[in-house]
Amino acid sequence: MAVRLPRIFRTTPFRLTLLFVMLFASAAFAFLAYIYVATAGEATRRTEREIVREMRSLVDVYDRAGVDAVNQSLIERAASEKPFLYLLLTKDGRRISGSIEESPVENFTGAPAWATFQVTDETPDGREVKHPARGMQQQLHGGEILFVGADAGEDEAYVARVSRALWASVALVVLLGLGGGLLVSRNVSRTMVNLIEVVERVRNGEQGVRARVRGAKDEFDELAQGVNEMLDRLERSMAGHKHAGDAIAHDLRSPLTRLRARLETAYLDVESGKGDPTQALAQALEDTDGVLKTFGAVLSIARLQAAGAAPDPVLFDPADLAADIAELYEPFCEEKDIDFSAELAKDLTVRGNREFLAQALANILDNAVKYTPAGGAIMLRVRRRSSGEVEFSVTDTGPGVPEEDRERVIQRFVRLENSRNEPGAGLGLSLVGAVAEAHGGRLELSEGPGKVGEMGPGLRVAFILPRA
Amino acid sequence: MRILIVEDDLEAAEAMARGLTEVGHECARGADGEEGLAAARAGEFDVMIVDRMMPRMNGVQLVETLRREGDRTPVLFLSALGEVGDRVDGLQAGADDYLVKPYAFAELIARIEALARRRDTGSVQTLLKVGELEMDLIARTVHRQGKEIDLQPREFQLLEFMMRHAGQSVTRTMLLEKVWHYHFDPQTNVIDVHISRLRSKIDKGFDRPMLQTVRGAGYRLDA
Repeated sequence: MAVRLPRIFRTTPFRLTLLFVMLFASAAFAFLAYIYVATAGEATRRTEREIVREMRSLVDVYDRAGVDAVNQSLIERAASEKPFLYLLLTKDGRRISGSIEESPVENFTGAPAWATFQVTDETPDGREVKHPARGMQQQLHGGEILFVGADAGEDEAYVARVSRALWASVALVVLLGLGGGLLVSRNVSRTMVNLIEVVERVRNGEQGVRARVRGAKDEFDELAQGVNEMLDRLERSMAGHKHAGDAIAHDLRSPLTRLRARLETAYLDVESGKGDPTQALAQALEDTDGVLKTFGAVLSIARLQAAGAAPDPVLFDPADLAADIAELYEPFCEEKDIDFSAELAKDLTVRGNREFLAQALANILDNAVKYTPAGGAIMLRVRRRSSGEVEFSVTDTGPGVPEEDRERVIQRFVRLENSRNEPGAGLGLSLVGAVAEAHGGRLELSEGPGKVGEMGPGLRVAFILPRA
Repeated sequence: MRILIVEDDLEAAEAMARGLTEVGHECARGADGEEGLAAARAGEFDVMIVDRMMPRMNGVQLVETLRREGDRTPVLFLSALGEVGDRVDGLQAGADDYLVKPYAFAELIARIEALARRRDTGSVQTLLKVGELEMDLIARTVHRQGKEIDLQPREFQLLEFMMRHAGQSVTRTMLLEKVWHYHFDPQTNVIDVHISRLRSKIDKGFDRPMLQTVRGAGYRLDA
């Protein structure tokens, strides 16, 4: 059975930390090992230098004043605070004097020789303690043999202290590294866990879940923000599609129902010999075209709303566009005996999808022409607002829209009661609204020029685009 | 005309073929992009109708391949996608016209006939002539029976298009697309008024009307 480590040990930051701790500990160990070797060696060398110096001074004494002077000197020196270990032997190795019983140097040839050995010391409470010691032996000019040694215990203790310190510091490095690593990875993990949790919840279909942005402005915040923005977009798009699906179903149901009813009536009429089949079929075709037109409009609205932004925006002169559309509609107005005029400000620039904006403007004019009676007037204007926004407006002298209904007519499929008999799917202004929204603009409906006799008060539709 | 229909919706293809055969065309069919490509390579066609989304090879790839091979047969793209970008993609691939599903059959026929006609006009013409009607594209003048007819610039363009497609039905949508360069359907038939203005200029005072209304389709200029 595999042991599952706690989550924190499995996190990437923790693993990275571990790696770094290992690297760091190895470096520290190598560094400290070097110091150890240097220090320990130095202690031994220092002891040896001291031994050599002591030996030299005793040889001096011997050369100047002979064996007795050496003995005298040994007595004095043995009383000093940190005594050396001495042993003076005759030429044939018998002990003359000294602080140790026998020489640790074996097979002495007469040449100066070094030896490492142990001395036994008695502590104040009577225990025997063994110290490591080092010493050298040399033959004096008269043939006597002199050994000078020194207790290396102090040095050993020093080296031991250094080495303990070294181990302690390695341990400290590892501990601090691990601790720091845990801290860092816990911090990072908390952030990541939050993100992972958000992703998991979204995957399970939850909506409206957002990652926490801690305000540290670091890359985690950036990631969280990115994830949130992505989720916002996805949700908007999903809502758009869902809404689009609902709306298409809703918007097409009534025209299809109407079409079916008409076909059924026509069928019954033709069957009973009352109706003309050709005419019934022509009517059915016309109705189908109406449904298709509605379908096209609904699809355009749905796509615009789902996309959230108009595709392929370009910079262009709004007056050109308005003039183009005006040219398309002017004869139509004339035919209906409507006075058409245009007032187009020059040298403005807007940014948008020309095709959609043309369609929006055409729909507004369609609407105006539809509702303006003969003898009325329609005015198309393009101007720059003081805010810098560009406004296309169409003012007509039709019956207008009561203030309380204005918001509603921009909604889908709304036609006011008294306009039920006019042709048209009632989607005109909702498409215009969707186009405006997709361009970051808006649609404003207000009263036209007011009531004049039978006519009015009219409607003013303003299509406002943000500054390019 | 020999027409190749490349469409994976068999029922739609069948209906299309039946309709086209009824109005006197000869149809061959391919059920996906690769079949279509093989058929196009094997036979001579006047027009191809290519669905945009198909298994194995989509319409865009099919048209691109044919164009690379030097096949210039006019192609009408059919698609359920109708946004500006989709149309531009299709035309860029080398299609000559684009029709969004669902469409009126009259629209399909009018566009196919317009495409087949376009193929004939290889040389640059400066003078168009349809019956008694003459249009000088450089002097920008129009005469009928030698009498000059004064036209507005847009009326001139409208008549030019009608003359180039004389004898064929031309739909309102086609006019809006080819003369005004708009790709949407206005709810009201604004085109009708432009046509009736044009008609009053070229037909009024003459013994016989040339600009005909085709029921359920659009208009036709007869010689």
